[in-house]
Amino acid sequence: MFEKLIEKGLEKSAWLYHLNTGSCNGCDIELVSVITPRYDAERFGFKIAGSPRHADIIVVSGPITSQSRDRLIRTLAQVPDPKVVVSLGSCPRSCNVFNGSYCVEGPLDKYTPIDVSIAGCPPKPEAIMAGLVRAVEILKEKRRAMK
Amino acid sequence: MELLKTILYILLYPGLIYCVIGGLILSGIDRKLLARMQKRIGPPILQPFYDFFKLLGKETIVPRNAAKKAFLAAPVIGLISLITVSLFIPVFKFSPFSTYADLIVVIYLLTIPAVALIVGGSASGSPYAGVGISREMVAIISYELPMVVSLLAIAKKVGLALNNGVMTFSLAQIVEYQAQNGPLFTKISIIPAFIAMLLVIPCKVGSLPFDIAEAEIEICEGPLVEYSGAPLAIFKLNHAIKMLVMTSLFVTLFLSGAGTGILVVDALIQFILIIIVMFFSITLLKAITARLRVEQTLKFYWTYPTALAFLSLILVYFGL
Repeated sequence: MFEKLIEKGLEKSAWLYHLNTGSCNGCDIELVSVITPRYDAERFGFKIAGSPRHADIIVVSGPITSQSRDRLIRTLAQVPDPKVVVSLGSCPRSCNVFNGSYCVEGPLDKYTPIDVSIAGCPPKPEAIMAGLVRAVEILKEKRRAMK
Repeated sequence: MELLKTILYILLYPGLIYCVIGGLILSGIDRKLLARMQKRIGPPILQPFYDFFKLLGKETIVPRNAAKKAFLAAPVIGLISLITVSLFIPVFKFSPFSTYADLIVVIYLLTIPAVALIVGGSASGSPYAGVGISREMVAIISYELPMVVSLLAIAKKVGLALNNGVMTFSLAQIVEYQAQNGPLFTKISIIPAFIAMLLVIPCKVGSLPFDIAEAEIEICEGPLVEYSGAPLAIFKLNHAIKMLVMTSLFVTLFLSGAGTGILVVDALIQFILIIIVMFFSITLLKAITARLRVEQTLKFYWTYPTALAFLSLILVYFGL
């Protein structure tokens, strides 16, 4: 009944959940700068949610450390469908400078398929916005595929 | 014909559809105004509608150690009680369900959404929800006292004029008094209660300086932490409607009057007044303050607003 409205809603209101898996805090600060008055991601409906149950887009930053690996898997399982996984920065894709460390068990695609990856160390806020807009398109495709 | 009219009241104007659309638009205006005050462009005014329909389309997860029936019923109970409150609040002289003591009904029904939040949170079985519901209880304890005392002041003030000195709890009579003597907030004895009630609204709807129960960045929205999909959508709707109902009650209590007699015009004037009240009591406070701690909230409410409300009650008894 509300199919059209739901699709419009998905397009206009995607809530982010930010998951830090041992990041150096650089990407985290850049993500926060996206919701500041200068870039204002809320005008596209993006909002940072406190709980993974409320989220549509999971933003993962950091190489996966052994401490955070189980938490990552459990958090991803808690997110309701349809969901999109976004990797933020170089770390989740390649482990960056932490590659080869005894406590790093990345990259992220060993544990979950990645839908959008935003490159940079740290990425620019403009790049993050572009990546999130792309993630919303994928979210819509996933919703269509669910039916 | 009477039956048809009643159904129309319940479904259309002061009831379901008005509450849903009015509440969501009001919370959209709130978000837009807040964004403009922070020099942002802000989300479109229809943003709460998008959020609502998106959440309807998401998967609903019930946690394994949750009490399923209470978990899913809690938001609906809250929604129903809020819509019932809206039926009792007169819009100027239009009051479809006016009874002898509807103010007491309104006070009790306004508590139910908070109780529904507590039930839903405790049914979800999450530790964050546990912290959230204990804070919600503290919030209820803190705002109920000044609210009830300031309502008593109004009841006595109106009762002295219209009900042979006995307190009146009829909202229709309160409106009648204002139609004869001008809005209540212009009376010297009611001004302290006016300010107290203005301070009660943000805690009642859980907006920023007093949103201890749903602190987003502190305890992940407290009781709502395990909710997803349609039940979360209804809780968000409850939040928006609570804002509409509280400000609407405020307008009826303090800023009402004879009105124009045409329902559409009256409803429009009421909504504009609601937006103005919301701007001062919710949006402005949200933009300029940070969150208080739990015990600070309790201390604040039991000192200044309660003192103001009692001052008002005493002034009414002195006949000012």
